Amino acid sequence: MDKLIFELQDVYFSYLGRYPALCGVDIHIRRGERIILVGANGSGKSTLLQMLDGLIFPDRGILKAFGGELTEGRFNDDGFSKTFRKNVGLVFQNSDIQLFCPTVKEDILFGPLQLGVAKKEIQRRFDELVHVLDIAALLDRSPHQLSIGEKRKVAIASTLVIDPEVLILDEPTAGLDPLTTRHIIDLLLAANAAGKTIITATHDLHIVEELSDVVYVFSQGKRIIRHGSPQEILSDSNLLQANNLIHMHSHRHRGKTHIHPHLHIYHHEEE
Amino acid sequence: MSALSFLKGAIFADEYASKKGLLQSLDPRVKTVTFLFFIIQILLTKNLFILLCLYALCLLLTLFSRINVGFFLKRTWIFIPLFSLLIAIPALFNIVTPGEPLITFTIAGLKLSITRQGLFGAALFMMRVTTSVSFAVLLSLTTRHFELLKVLRVFGIPQVFVMTLGICYRYIYLFVEIVENTYLAIKSRVGTTVHYTRGQHIVAWNIASLWNRSYQLNEAVYQAMLSRGYRGEPVLGDDFKIMAKDGLWLSFVITLSAALAYVQYYLLV
Repeated sequence: MDKLIFELQDVYFSYLGRYPALCGVDIHIRRGERIILVGANGSGKSTLLQMLDGLIFPDRGILKAFGGELTEGRFNDDGFSKTFRKNVGLVFQNSDIQLFCPTVKEDILFGPLQLGVAKKEIQRRFDELVHVLDIAALLDRSPHQLSIGEKRKVAIASTLVIDPEVLILDEPTAGLDPLTTRHIIDLLLAANAAGKTIITATHDLHIVEELSDVVYVFSQGKRIIRHGSPQEILSDSNLLQANNLIHMHSHRHRGKTHIHPHLHIYHHEEE
Repeated sequence: MSALSFLKGAIFADEYASKKGLLQSLDPRVKTVTFLFFIIQILLTKNLFILLCLYALCLLLTLFSRINVGFFLKRTWIFIPLFSLLIAIPALFNIVTPGEPLITFTIAGLKLSITRQGLFGAALFMMRVTTSVSFAVLLSLTTRHFELLKVLRVFGIPQVFVMTLGICYRYIYLFVEIVENTYLAIKSRVGTTVHYTRGQHIVAWNIASLWNRSYQLNEAVYQAMLSRGYRGEPVLGDDFKIMAKDGLWLSFVITLSAALAYVQYYLLV
């Protein structure tokens, strides 16, 4: 049980008490695991990620983190809040929300400065990340001057610099070019190899196999409809199609019309 | 659209602040304090010669900071009439400033004179405004705006206030872009000519929509801050460094100010 980081039992959450976002979610996440949440738009993935980051709390059900129940009241304790924020980092879906400082450098340094990390250590982490992500040229620029890919890299840097044990990412590769996507996947794999737990929400099925040990599928009913290994989930076309993760694709090729499920994986087998 | 472009250019362009010139190389804190010192000196002096010397110094600094002088003059002289002309013109006449008449003329049976004292007062006022606006514009052109915000901390402004201003600066651009895109979207659907009443509705709807978006953004940004350990008392980094060059600049400003004060009180009086 000591390896269990997050435990959710029958969790319900609604916005303004009227718009349900999670309806009876059960999930268990262990230390060092790679978890992927897939589901259509508005199925509750982002809400769950914010809950795991201690930003919102269940209306009903139990949310446990690091062995203890996670409630809003616990964050009034400075010590607990600091420890939790040091251990869990969230990369938001919209980088414009995450990057709120006037310059990239200030944004990257914001987290560790608030958490009281020693200045030498901050500098060491900062230099390492700037080198790994190749963002030295961006440091004095304002976030509004960056491209989507650059913003995403800086947002990831601003979370990684905290050196959290659990890294939560909301659509980290959405709208990115293939090279930047590859770069981010490699970075996450390296973080996982270093022992970090990686929880990712995505629509991007071609990153699922590489970035997950367990895949959770969200349905339109705002609940987890199925979980399993990436191979199990990705091979179930009916499940993916029923949950808007793949669609029937029609195209003309050598004078014939082909209709098949549009699934961005297994390209190599097809060749 | 042109107003939005001007706003973007005026607030966010840091083309000159990124150049490698004299003023750009100084520590922003030292630069701001010395420029404030110059402006105070401008406000206190009653001598046109001293003001002309300070204005000449400002233009020289513009040159040494690799700023196009034509651009600089345009930027400063846009503001000067706004600040001074309406006040300076009435001060020329004997109705406001009585004294020795220089030119006398009659308008609609009313005899008006431009007085020597009025002319001197108006010239002094115009010169003060010109020189102080020039120094203020030069400071903003040679310093990145976020650095100017950080300098506020030197004057004891609380960190939370400085951070709030920084966040405002960051998001104004986003909102300007939203307004710009909304305007383009409207233009693409209804064309350029919109009935007055319809136009009012569109503007009202835009204001409401922007308010709604800013409210949502406010909550989301606060969550992003909490997520990275913000607890209501921000801790900001300080990467300003005072170098030998700043010491030299400070010595130059003190010596120059002392020399100008000497000229004003002992030689010209």
